[in-house]
Amino acid sequence: MVTAFVMVKANTGEADRLKTEMEAIEGVDSAHIVAGDVDIIAKAQVDTPASVKEIAATQIQDIDGVEGTQTYIAMD
Amino acid sequence: MRFVIIGAGRVGLRTARVLREEGHDLTLIEQDEAKIGRAERESFTVVAGDGSRESTLEDAGVESADAVGALTGDLNVNFTACMIANHYGCRTIMRIDEAYREEIYRKYADEVDEVVYPERLGAIGAKNALLGGTIRAIADVAPNLQIVELTVTPEAPTNGYTMGELELPADATILAHGKRDRSLEIPSPDESLEIGDRLVVLADFDVLSDVRQLVVGETPTQAAANAGSGGVN
Repeated sequence: MVTAFVMVKANTGEADRLKTEMEAIEGVDSAHIVAGDVDIIAKAQVDTPASVKEIAATQIQDIDGVEGTQTYIAMD
Repeated sequence: MRFVIIGAGRVGLRTARVLREEGHDLTLIEQDEAKIGRAERESFTVVAGDGSRESTLEDAGVESADAVGALTGDLNVNFTACMIANHYGCRTIMRIDEAYREEIYRKYADEVDEVVYPERLGAIGAKNALLGGTIRAIADVAPNLQIVELTVTPEAPTNGYTMGELELPADATILAHGKRDRSLEIPSPDESLEIGDRLVVLADFDVLSDVRQLVVGETPTQAAANAGSGGVN
């Protein structure tokens, strides 16, 4: 099992919609609206590192209003 | 009033100057040696340190402050400072670095009373300077509401009306009236509206172009073209 945290920078104030759309992605456990340099942090739990790439690089990036992502894979 | 301002950079220091000019008592918090030196040369009280730490805020007198302005370029510092200041019962003002974040912080951050985006205020100033003349945006008070100052021209249909006769659309309110070369005052119904007079109007974006046609005498085409540029977002 691979756990990853995806930092999401938005370019829209519709944080609720982004959160809902991210949480609807299979493999995404939860998404939180946060204060700071990024706007949302999503936590994903999937079987393989390749699935992390699929979630972060394809599905989350495809959401309208997402400007960019940065992904951290947990080491523990 | 007593204020704590975090960040003595281009936004924080200017804010501090304006507050001091108006007779308020304030303390700045800054980490950068060069910025501390600059603020101290201007005789400001500066606490050296990280504004997102409670001890630094305490050193700056957060307990007795009426409001805290978190005006650094770092969102994390600004938000943390507001959380702490809120705990001390202060009014909190947070600077943001992107316009879209305004909505997010207004909605989710109970710790923050007001959000400021300095670039937007700069854009209002720049837009006014570019347009010149008869229409001046003063402030966006809500996403759909703007306060504008309009100057009556010879082409204005309302030129010569009294204030009492002037009828604006439903979603527009006159806040102040200034005769040519005089200061703005609360509108009086008997005053006449003449060329060069200024009206300060609070209006919904939807009716702003109608208001412009009535007061400034823009043609419907001009008013429609300018309506799109009504906001400063």
